[in-house]
Amino acid sequence: MPTATDYIRILPEIVLSVWGMIIMFIEPILPAGRSRKGLGIFAAVGAIAAIAATIYQARPEFAGSGFNGMLRVDHFSVFFHLVVLLVTLATILMSLDYLPFQKIDRGEYYALILLGAVGMCLMSSAVELVLIFIALEISSISSYILAGFRRHAAESAESSLKYFLLGSFATAFFLYGVALLYGATGSTNVFDIARTLGTSPHIEPLAYVAVALIFTGLGFKVACAPFHVWTPDVYEGAPSPVVAFMSTAPKAASFAVLIRLVIDTASPHWFWVIWTAAVLSMCVGNLGAILQSNVKRMLAYSSIAHAGYLMVAFASASNRELGISAAMFYSAAYAAMNVGAFAIITQMAGAGERYSQIDDYSGLGKRSPVLAAALTFFLLSLIGIPITGGFFAKFYVFSAALRTHLIWLTVIGVANSGMGSYYYLRLIVRMYMFEPRTEEPAPRVRLGMGLAISICLIATLWLGVLPNVVLHYTQGAPTIFFTR
Amino acid sequence: MNLSTLNPWILTLTTFLPALGALLIAFLPRRDRDIRWFALAISVITLLISLHLPVHYREVAPTNSGTFAYEQNLQWITSPNIHYHIGIDGISLWLVVLTTFLVPFCVLASWKSIHDRVKEFFILLLLLETAMIGVFIALDLFLFYFFWEATLIPMALIIGIFGHQRRVYAAVKFFLYTMIASVFMLAAIIWLYAQSNTFDFVELQHLIATGAIHMPGHTTLWLFLGFFVAFAVKVPLFPLHTWLPDAHVEAPTAGSVLLAGVLLKMGTYGLLRFNIGLFPVEAHKNAPWIMTLAIIGIVYGALVALVQPNMKKLVAYSSVSHLGFVVLGLYSFTRAGMDGAVFQMLNHGISTGALFLLLGVVYDRRHTYEIKEYGGLATPMPMYATLFLLITLSSIGLPLMNGFVGEFLILSGAFQAKAVYGIVAASGVIWSAFYMLWLYQRTFYGKITNPVNATLPDVDLRERSILWPLAVLALVMGVFPTLWMNSIDASVAGILGTQHGVPAAPALQVKVNTVLK
Amino acid sequence: MIPISYYLLLSAFLFACGVTGFLIKRNIITLFMSIELMLNGVNLSFIAFATRLQTLDGHIFVFFVMVVAAAEAAVGLAIIISVYRTRETLNVDRVNLLKL
Repeated sequence: MPTATDYIRILPEIVLSVWGMIIMFIEPILPAGRSRKGLGIFAAVGAIAAIAATIYQARPEFAGSGFNGMLRVDHFSVFFHLVVLLVTLATILMSLDYLPFQKIDRGEYYALILLGAVGMCLMSSAVELVLIFIALEISSISSYILAGFRRHAAESAESSLKYFLLGSFATAFFLYGVALLYGATGSTNVFDIARTLGTSPHIEPLAYVAVALIFTGLGFKVACAPFHVWTPDVYEGAPSPVVAFMSTAPKAASFAVLIRLVIDTASPHWFWVIWTAAVLSMCVGNLGAILQSNVKRMLAYSSIAHAGYLMVAFASASNRELGISAAMFYSAAYAAMNVGAFAIITQMAGAGERYSQIDDYSGLGKRSPVLAAALTFFLLSLIGIPITGGFFAKFYVFSAALRTHLIWLTVIGVANSGMGSYYYLRLIVRMYMFEPRTEEPAPRVRLGMGLAISICLIATLWLGVLPNVVLHYTQGAPTIFFTR
Repeated sequence: MNLSTLNPWILTLTTFLPALGALLIAFLPRRDRDIRWFALAISVITLLISLHLPVHYREVAPTNSGTFAYEQNLQWITSPNIHYHIGIDGISLWLVVLTTFLVPFCVLASWKSIHDRVKEFFILLLLLETAMIGVFIALDLFLFYFFWEATLIPMALIIGIFGHQRRVYAAVKFFLYTMIASVFMLAAIIWLYAQSNTFDFVELQHLIATGAIHMPGHTTLWLFLGFFVAFAVKVPLFPLHTWLPDAHVEAPTAGSVLLAGVLLKMGTYGLLRFNIGLFPVEAHKNAPWIMTLAIIGIVYGALVALVQPNMKKLVAYSSVSHLGFVVLGLYSFTRAGMDGAVFQMLNHGISTGALFLLLGVVYDRRHTYEIKEYGGLATPMPMYATLFLLITLSSIGLPLMNGFVGEFLILSGAFQAKAVYGIVAASGVIWSAFYMLWLYQRTFYGKITNPVNATLPDVDLRERSILWPLAVLALVMGVFPTLWMNSIDASVAGILGTQHGVPAAPALQVKVNTVLK
Repeated sequence: MIPISYYLLLSAFLFACGVTGFLIKRNIITLFMSIELMLNGVNLSFIAFATRLQTLDGHIFVFFVMVVAAAEAAVGLAIIISVYRTRETLNVDRVNLLKL
């Protein structure tokens, strides 16, 4: 029987689900045409409550496995919970005024975001493949709908369709891998599988196939090359706040699953797969981004490249402590800076998301100095310039790679990050060194958006200047990883 | 109050005061006049505080090599093991003061020429000052890289937003060149950390010297080159110099002054502190080709400067030539050469900085740098002509001016290293006299060819208050170089003393002392 | 008794059919059906393994897969309808506003 402690171990998920369902119930009661901003604020309160629940859950007495070994609460899960929930909060805040402006002011939006967050949180704490699968689907299905939320716009519907088709396709691969892994090891529990694979003298070929299939499935979710083709299209068509959400939170959660699986199931077998994926992602992402003229597409390619940098951390996971903590730190820093960048793209989008070409950002430095400065800061962080979280994250990943003697991978990564600076810089150049194309001042920043941008700014700066606390926390994660 | 109680915090204060000022400016209302005065006040206060450093240097001067004055070492990040470790020796001491000294003049020089987006300009300028000072005081490689990269953005934005016609091209080129080159340095720094678990300069120096870090095969060479590329681009050493003329020509006056005066010195400082400091054996082994590149730079820079129709480009190429001298001096591995190189860094900061400020004066009046637009300026602007002459003489190294001391020491060092280096480099001195005096002749003498020039107003009070101090300083540095040289020489001796495989040269010391007297 | 490898081969064949269909067909509904086929191939594997291993995990997994597939179908069809409304076609090649 589940104990009270078990329920505390899923407290954030419970909070989010309850909040999401309440919104679903209120939405049809509210008269049509009435503003849904109240629901949005209610959803934001829900996200904050879930953050509080996670912090409560982080106490040492609640650490450990719950529900007969279905999930685990440890540093690792708490960390990813916080990343996902902060992204959720920022997304809700930046959507408050975006939705009415785009005339898609519906309460389901907030409910879907909260319910999607439930899936992502569960992904980071699940240690049973059944639960991982269900959590993955909860998060995916709500993202499919969110991507098509501007349903009168053909691009949005198309983006949603592509995301849905390729996402389900990837899920099938993941599932087939799980089935084969179950057949090869006789268990669906991550730790049991790890033990079986770790102790048996020779590994069945079935297990290799299984691992490859699982990697394919999750590779789609994290958008690493060669499974990245959907990313630019989906990001271009989906509503900007949703892109902010789905380019960071589900990605962080999928990486959490990958870490649990990869690290637990004997990493040497994975090494070359990950090495190749990392190199391909970095090169494809950075080269692809240079050719783009649409900001959202450019950031989509940049997100592929960043998945590659994260993979570098994975490849160095033979040094468990460094590899895992580098990957965790990187996903947090990436979440902060990317959500920030998309918050400003949301702000700039205009009715029907008209203004998303790089040209539309010309002279933003004059039209709106504060927005331009904030976007510059996030872009500099994506490049990896000091005092930003992006710099420290990249630095930490590469030092982890060099610690494990991955000299070539580091060289390729470092060269890529030099190359990558070009396209981010192009946007900065547009903002400051070109004359504005319209005299029209940039739209006013409302309170919700202001809060969202401030959260991201503070997080990016904090991770860059005083990363000590977060680093300590991530470094505490791997040591308790195996103690059941 | 006893001022020496300030010692542990003085460097931190000097470094971060401008950044604090920039933060405050961000919250000031957009009243350009107030912002200018505020920025001036901040930069002057920073200068005054930084003067504490040389005044009290003697009390805290390091007694043996490997220690630093005004040192502070706090744990910043526990794992990775990163420290906020700062401190200066006789070399970085003067570079810090040079930085704080030039910034107030940059603020004054931008008083009228920057009238659009004034707030942004001064924020960037002050942030740049913090980053530049940080580079010279950092003794932790991570911290150093942190400041090093941080200089990049404000400078690129200053060029790109406030520059002239082709500013965007120049800014992007500047950014990409330096960014890509410094990425290699980052890789080298991380490699060192991965092997030794420390970023601390002093510790690393010790570990490398004692062979405690395992370096298989050509690792040292690769590490040396990783640092070298980053610094060589910044210096800029031939053939990596192509970004410099573009950046100088397009930058606003203040940007050019700081670029030439301080940013280039970051490169030579890095070559001295890190390349020679961390990998002395490798540096010594590679000295021949580096000196050859430096000499090519000297002659090439001078010859290209000679044929420039654009005054600012001329001065930019003269920088390539002058910085070639500095690198030559550093890699001559003689005490005289290195002393001269460090001194020449300061000279170049003063004289080229002043030249850019002088060019800014006529640019404010005529909005062109083309030499053929001018001619006969001595008649309408006598005071300006006098100042220009003084600085020109300092730049070409006339005896009794600062340039002479530096170039003489460098050349005597080069002769000791290998006579042929000295001979070829000496020709650079002649070329530099040629192009500078010819520039002077074409702009100031002869008849006024362009009637617009006949009524140009002479330098006003603000401009005089910028130019006179620099001209006087150039003279003082030429007449009393020992004021600077004592602390420089002690530190250079420390660096040379820790060299392995380099003959200690007591005979040289005698020679230097005679030269200095 | 039929050996387990037969079941596994059949399930692999179903899965491969699904993958092939997904890659070569152009009608969105067919693509969607291909995905369902892949999922059912996976289900067969689960059952086969569960029978061999004599554990219940595989059976439970199948139930969850069915539930999730149903949810996916609901969402997927809704998305297809919304695409049809805006574009009036169900050919993936013509749903190409976003360049691939």
